[in-house]
Amino acid sequence: MTTPSTKELLQTMQDAAENLSQNDRREFLRKGVSYVAGAAAVGTAGTAAAASFSTNLPPNEPQWGKQLGRGVVANPYGVPSRFEEHVVRRTVPWLTAESISSISMSPIHDLKGIITPNGLVFERYHAGVPDVNPDEHRLMIHGLVDNPLIFTMEDLMRFPSVSEIKFIECPANGGMEWRGPQMEALQFTHGMLSCCEWTGVPLKVLLEEAGIRPEGKWILAEGADGAHMSRSIPIEKILDDTLVVYAQNGEMLRPEQGYPLRLLNPGWEGNTSIKWLRRIEVGDKPWHHREETSKYTDLLADGTARRFTFVQECNSVITNPCPENPIKKPGFIEIEGLAWTGRGKIKGVDVSFDGGVSWQPAQLKGLVLDKALTRFSFQTKWSGEPWLLQSRAYDETGYVQPTLAQLREQRGVNSIYHKNSIHTWQVQPTGEVKNVQIT
Amino acid sequence: MFKLPNIFAVTLLGAALVAGSAQAEGSKYNFGAPASAEEIAGWDIDIRPDGMGLPVGSGNAMDGEAEYEVQCAACHGVFGEGEGRWPVLVGGEGTLADERPVKTVGSYWPYASTLFDYIRRAMPFTAPMSLSDQQVYDITAYVLYMNEIIEEDFELSNENLAGVKMPNEANFFVDDRPDVKNPRCMADCADPSTMMLASSLAGVTPIGHFVEGADAPAASHEGQHDLEAQKEAERKADITGEEVAASHGAEPAALSAQAQAGEAVYKGACFVCHDSGLAGAPKTGDAAAWADRVGQGMDLLVSHALEGYSGSTGVMPPKGGRMDLSDKAVTDAVHFMVESSH
Repeated sequence: MTTPSTKELLQTMQDAAENLSQNDRREFLRKGVSYVAGAAAVGTAGTAAAASFSTNLPPNEPQWGKQLGRGVVANPYGVPSRFEEHVVRRTVPWLTAESISSISMSPIHDLKGIITPNGLVFERYHAGVPDVNPDEHRLMIHGLVDNPLIFTMEDLMRFPSVSEIKFIECPANGGMEWRGPQMEALQFTHGMLSCCEWTGVPLKVLLEEAGIRPEGKWILAEGADGAHMSRSIPIEKILDDTLVVYAQNGEMLRPEQGYPLRLLNPGWEGNTSIKWLRRIEVGDKPWHHREETSKYTDLLADGTARRFTFVQECNSVITNPCPENPIKKPGFIEIEGLAWTGRGKIKGVDVSFDGGVSWQPAQLKGLVLDKALTRFSFQTKWSGEPWLLQSRAYDETGYVQPTLAQLREQRGVNSIYHKNSIHTWQVQPTGEVKNVQIT
Repeated sequence: MFKLPNIFAVTLLGAALVAGSAQAEGSKYNFGAPASAEEIAGWDIDIRPDGMGLPVGSGNAMDGEAEYEVQCAACHGVFGEGEGRWPVLVGGEGTLADERPVKTVGSYWPYASTLFDYIRRAMPFTAPMSLSDQQVYDITAYVLYMNEIIEEDFELSNENLAGVKMPNEANFFVDDRPDVKNPRCMADCADPSTMMLASSLAGVTPIGHFVEGADAPAASHEGQHDLEAQKEAERKADITGEEVAASHGAEPAALSAQAQAGEAVYKGACFVCHDSGLAGAPKTGDAAAWADRVGQGMDLLVSHALEGYSGSTGVMPPKGGRMDLSDKAVTDAVHFMVESSH
């Protein structure tokens, strides 16, 4: 079979799409994309799908208008429509030896706004998800304090609470691509990233209860899971904005996110936000534990390594279009994406269509919050021309997201962590989007 | 005593008892209960480079070798070389500036205390917090010895561990970012004639959910396991001419009550090695690998699982390292694996 021209293909897709219900559109487009890759016949698939759904389209009364639906509490805890079952966390299995000490990515290409639904927040475990009974969970605070204390969950929830929208990002987000482009999907290039409204108590309130001693300069936070995951955090961060949280997006934490209690260090690398938090020790020096020496340190080209690289620097990525969201038709398109910075608020985002030669300012839309995902938008038209599409965020400190070449020049390619460089999508004349790097 | 805070805790608890339940000074809410010295001692497992937190005790590489082979070698390799994708512990000196650096305890870790701390809090992977202080000292000494950091007969103790210097300590420095300053250029920011475009590798990303028919990995470990099993079955079928058997998804109904009881144990412990074939473990579902073992009799197979076995293909630690499991639980899990591998 010969591949049709772009124009023919687009026309075919457009014609068929007009015969499709909204729910079937996604499936059709998937087939459309695979056709571009030379795998399936779009015309046949589109027609067949359209036929099976046509009785639900105007002028017909759709099936769901001629019968009753489910009653209340049929789903005591609601779940998404069955037509959304493709919106799930995914992993790259060859990254880790097994699934217990591993990571999954959020489907950020399918998400709207800035809040990540609880079931889609990315996962990172070092010993799997423990099944913690909240009645038997305790938070111990000891070390260089006047009154070592043990809190029950009930105790912690008696304190005045705060709720804040903050992102969490794994410092290895994008880390597979220091040497070159590797992942053919946004979910895997940038999906170790989520943003929730978190509810809990500032850690400094708890430390004041215990009475922190003047020589206390660091804390060790430790989890109750099999990894007893531990990180050293300087006291300045605690006094600034560290929270001990028990809820996310209005409900108690999910087990995957540390139920019933986790630390939250806003804007800092995700693994400092210790999950299943059971112990805070105050000390005068850091502990230099495994997850802050062997791992989560940034190896540079000369063999030296940065440690305590806490801040997630300013970063951004375009989520529409992207490999999972190809451009479907010529004409109007809202280019959308996410920007975030661990140093405060996003100030602005620029967009380039020519691989970074020239830039135009995008609009920030919706909430622009401290250390939260921020959505940006650029409305334009596409008429089948190839784009090298990029976004470049800058934050309120004046820091501008760097190019990959600049990062590599400073750090080499062995760092694994903290790759926040400008990302490039190659938009092809077919509307397909490929992950590429410009060097 | 190596942890001053414990002394404070004892002193304060005494003071609190004298003062009755009066609200502690400086406390605003008076929520929570005083943490007793005993409660703190039970959870205070952390070790610092200056030796703070080390329990009184000692160990050496000679005793550590046997412990290592039982507790660690299945994943980390007999020589610390690492099995599969599990961490390499030994070697790599002088490679940190190479194209492919090898980061190990010897080549990268800045402090010996971290090794003791990590083994105690998180190892062995399938049974954290199961080792005695003596075992942790012995294994720590053995890993340091394999990295040529201490001598084989060096008695590593709470008195001298902080004095063990690691070769790479001086190569770490505290975060000094931002290290890159990118001006917010708006026009003529790069020279298009010098720009090179690199494309993604094909076939390594799970893209089956949006590219139909893609030759790609699955998007979960379980899915990938099934995918590889299917490909292997097809490969064998190509050679033998036999039809590919239906996937093993239908098996649970055929399991005996004992095997069903063992399934939860398997999923909580055994699968780490027996799903992946790690360290020569027979894979669950691999009929050929299990046939010979079952042929020797279930009694012998169960006794190897309980007491450990070192054969030509690999090492089975006693109860897979999970000494907390009952004999019955392990026996049930063996039945689950055997019945799932016809």
